[in-house]
Amino acid sequence: MSELFPRKQVMGFVFSMVLTAVALLVYFLDMSFTAGMTVLLITAFVQAGLQLVVFMHAGETDDKGSIYTNIFYGVVIALVTVFGTLLILVWDM
Amino acid sequence: MEFFERFAIPHPSPAIYASMVAIALTMVAIVAGLTYFKKWGYLWREWLTTVDHKRIGIMYLISALLMLFRGGADAIMLRAQLAVPENKLLDAQHYNEIFTTHGIVMILFMAMPFIIALMNFVVPLQIGARDVAFPRLNALSFWLFFMGAMLLNISFVVGGSPDAGWTSYFPLAGTEFSESVGSNYYMIAIQIAGIGTLMTGVNFLTTILRMRAPGMTLMKMPMFTWSVLVTNVIIVFAFPVLTVLLAMGTFDRLFATHFFTTTNGGMDMLWANLFWVWGHPEVYILILPAFGVYSEVISTFARRNLYGYKSMVASMVLISLLSFLVWTHHFFTMGQGALTNSIFSITTMAIAVPTGVKIFNWLLTLWKGKIEITTPMLYSLLFIPLFTIGGVTGVMLGMSAADYQYHNTMFLVAHFHMVIIPGVVFAMLAGLTYWWPKMFGFMLNERIGKWTAWIIGISTLVAFMPMFFSGLDGQARRMYTYSESTGYGPLNMISFIGAVGLAVGFVLIAYNVYYSVRYSPRNISADPWDARSLEWATHSPVPEYNFAIVPQVDSSEAFWDAKKKGHELFKGEYEKIHMPNNSGVPFLMSCIFFVWGFSLVFSMWIPAIAATIGILACMAHRSFEKDHGRYISVEEVEETESKLRGAS
Amino acid sequence: MKIDHSLPLEYSTEENRLKILGFWIFLGAEIMLFATLFASYFTLVDRTGSGPSGADIFEITPVLIETIVLLTSSFTIGLGVHAMRIGNKKAMLSFFAITLLLGAGFLGVEIYEFVHYAHIGAGIQTSAFTAILLTTLGTHGAHVTLGLLWGTAIILQVKKRGLTPETANKSFIFSLYWHFLDVVWIFIFSFVYLKGMM
Repeated sequence: MSELFPRKQVMGFVFSMVLTAVALLVYFLDMSFTAGMTVLLITAFVQAGLQLVVFMHAGETDDKGSIYTNIFYGVVIALVTVFGTLLILVWDM
Repeated sequence: MEFFERFAIPHPSPAIYASMVAIALTMVAIVAGLTYFKKWGYLWREWLTTVDHKRIGIMYLISALLMLFRGGADAIMLRAQLAVPENKLLDAQHYNEIFTTHGIVMILFMAMPFIIALMNFVVPLQIGARDVAFPRLNALSFWLFFMGAMLLNISFVVGGSPDAGWTSYFPLAGTEFSESVGSNYYMIAIQIAGIGTLMTGVNFLTTILRMRAPGMTLMKMPMFTWSVLVTNVIIVFAFPVLTVLLAMGTFDRLFATHFFTTTNGGMDMLWANLFWVWGHPEVYILILPAFGVYSEVISTFARRNLYGYKSMVASMVLISLLSFLVWTHHFFTMGQGALTNSIFSITTMAIAVPTGVKIFNWLLTLWKGKIEITTPMLYSLLFIPLFTIGGVTGVMLGMSAADYQYHNTMFLVAHFHMVIIPGVVFAMLAGLTYWWPKMFGFMLNERIGKWTAWIIGISTLVAFMPMFFSGLDGQARRMYTYSESTGYGPLNMISFIGAVGLAVGFVLIAYNVYYSVRYSPRNISADPWDARSLEWATHSPVPEYNFAIVPQVDSSEAFWDAKKKGHELFKGEYEKIHMPNNSGVPFLMSCIFFVWGFSLVFSMWIPAIAATIGILACMAHRSFEKDHGRYISVEEVEETESKLRGAS
Repeated sequence: MKIDHSLPLEYSTEENRLKILGFWIFLGAEIMLFATLFASYFTLVDRTGSGPSGADIFEITPVLIETIVLLTSSFTIGLGVHAMRIGNKKAMLSFFAITLLLGAGFLGVEIYEFVHYAHIGAGIQTSAFTAILLTTLGTHGAHVTLGLLWGTAIILQVKKRGLTPETANKSFIFSLYWHFLDVVWIFIFSFVYLKGMM
């Protein structure tokens, strides 16, 4: 039975639950907006990285260069789009 | 009868009725012709169900040329209307519809498929592959594009064309100001074609990343393949933005949501913002493969290897990133603060740097080269000065403070036409002429070709240079007429003459095809231009499996090395070749997509739901079917090879 | 078809390797798809018109259930792929089935949530905020729904055809898709719900 539950994945799952619990602190504690957003940004991106590496096996083949470049490029452009849009339409309007 | 009233044209004219009759007659003629010559089976087996990248490329090419004439007819009507002041040829509504469809058709249904046509035909050959990574998906991409294009094209005879500009800004494109179904067509037709393009992006990235011939590292790829790689990176990350944007636009129009309305919190500026988040990278999707074509053509006909290979690659990669960082320059006047405009002015001007690097690399390739003026080379040489005019005026527009003067004037129209026509259209015509012998096994006539290139080159200047001046004088774009006292009349008349010249040029291209089909010699070699990359190492026309033996590569100009330095490309024996099977499902599924789109345009929910189920059923069929492709035996390869060797 | 036995089944043919890389690239496109939705969401979040704001309508309980259910399903499908790699077809099928059941549970809660929103006057036509909220959640939900159909098709195929290079490849690609949906949900959970209720 135990070979069906590899340690790495179980630990990954536990860690993702811990991250969720930490993120929930912003709901239960009375935090400033900045502190809350910092917590959320960190937990969300760590959680995403965790899924990518532990569960999605992104780095297991010789295509890992292409895969990580692709994801990294996507994330950079995604952030540019989100923050650029906010700059144009909300912060600097 | 009430049901059918929705399909009526809201604003008809004799010209539209005449087009209806013409379309009906053409359809009847096609059906009758196919039946009379018993070509239905041929059409189905060889084209509609094909998954061969070369045939798909040729189908893209035919669609692109058809759309070029459709968009060109629009352009002539626009320029004719503006040729003299107070002209009554078109009314305001028709003028709106025509400039809208002119933009959509030329960008999305002419330039895009033209580029994808060359990509499809050339890239697998240049990298020494047998096909693309996902041949079936490739067929689906084409048919989705085709059905999207057809859906938009029927709009002017069924229900009315979109009339809010190719940018379709809200609130103008919302239901309040655009009551006809025209803008529904815009949202849904482009959505369908866009999904096809996104799949092309995934397909070609995978192909180029994993299917290169042994020895061809990334830095040994031909420059056209590099440009396609970078282009597809942009496609993959830019087109999802369009998907979401069009979905939100569709919701606003069909389900009365408030994304872009002026009430209940809606924000019309969000449309403009997201449109250009996609739209600016789209400009580079168009121009980068064009740069790739020029690189191939210039190094072939200057008889030199490309100057600054690494800086060419670096500048393209940089352009791909910068292309996502400049979108605000399309709406400097929208009302955001000086900080934003300054940031985007700087990124905009920065993008001129890698572009300039490329221009200098081409010039330095020509320097000391043994230049041979062929038709493709002529287009490339005309491109450099003309494109520079377009590029430099772009830097002028990129300065946000000055942009308040130029914004939405004919100066802008002149700028982007001077970029897109010399940049993209010349490149596509150069590429078409250059790769034509590889596609069809005979050459286009050079004399007619050179005449055409000169006519198109000069007409481009005649048509668009006057607009820079009328624009600086204050002539606004998208205005259907102007009074005589403005003094714009003579400049617009010159533009009209240029437009007629362009039309003559495009008709000459069609004539050249006809002339060459009839009179061109068929006994040409597989390498008629004395070219440098792998696609010229196989026969013309190319056999189904591309290369009987997979080539071995050790430089970016493997074929040139094989000819001049004795590099051995094809080592080893013939082996049986694995090829994918044809399939009718992509065509069928795209037809269902057409029904789906048409139903949504007219808010007919029951057929729309039925079509959705049909689409899911096609996907399920694909999931469950067992298709392992087929093998071409060694004997068959030998037979084909010996036959083709005799022919070329 | 050349099969390379030194690699896990899902990577064992060139066609399989192409498909896995192709799917990763597609996921890159999906990142941009959701990024566009998020960009629009953050732009429109305070534009509530005469309708309610996020703080007025969000409830922590269903959101927490959805999060835990989906995170668990991401874990179980990871175990499913692991079972597939050690050749345990039965365990793999069980883990995949559990994953889909959890997915269905998630979807059930999400449907409840949507009905609830509509009931309290936060329908898709209410304001720019509700439109983008429901579109963002709905796009994720539609992905989950498609995932349920797709996953069922894969379970049927593995059951009938066994673990072949083809079925293993499909199962692995499906697991990538499912994990990705989990990542997207984490961002929705953090920046739509928790930020809205903060």
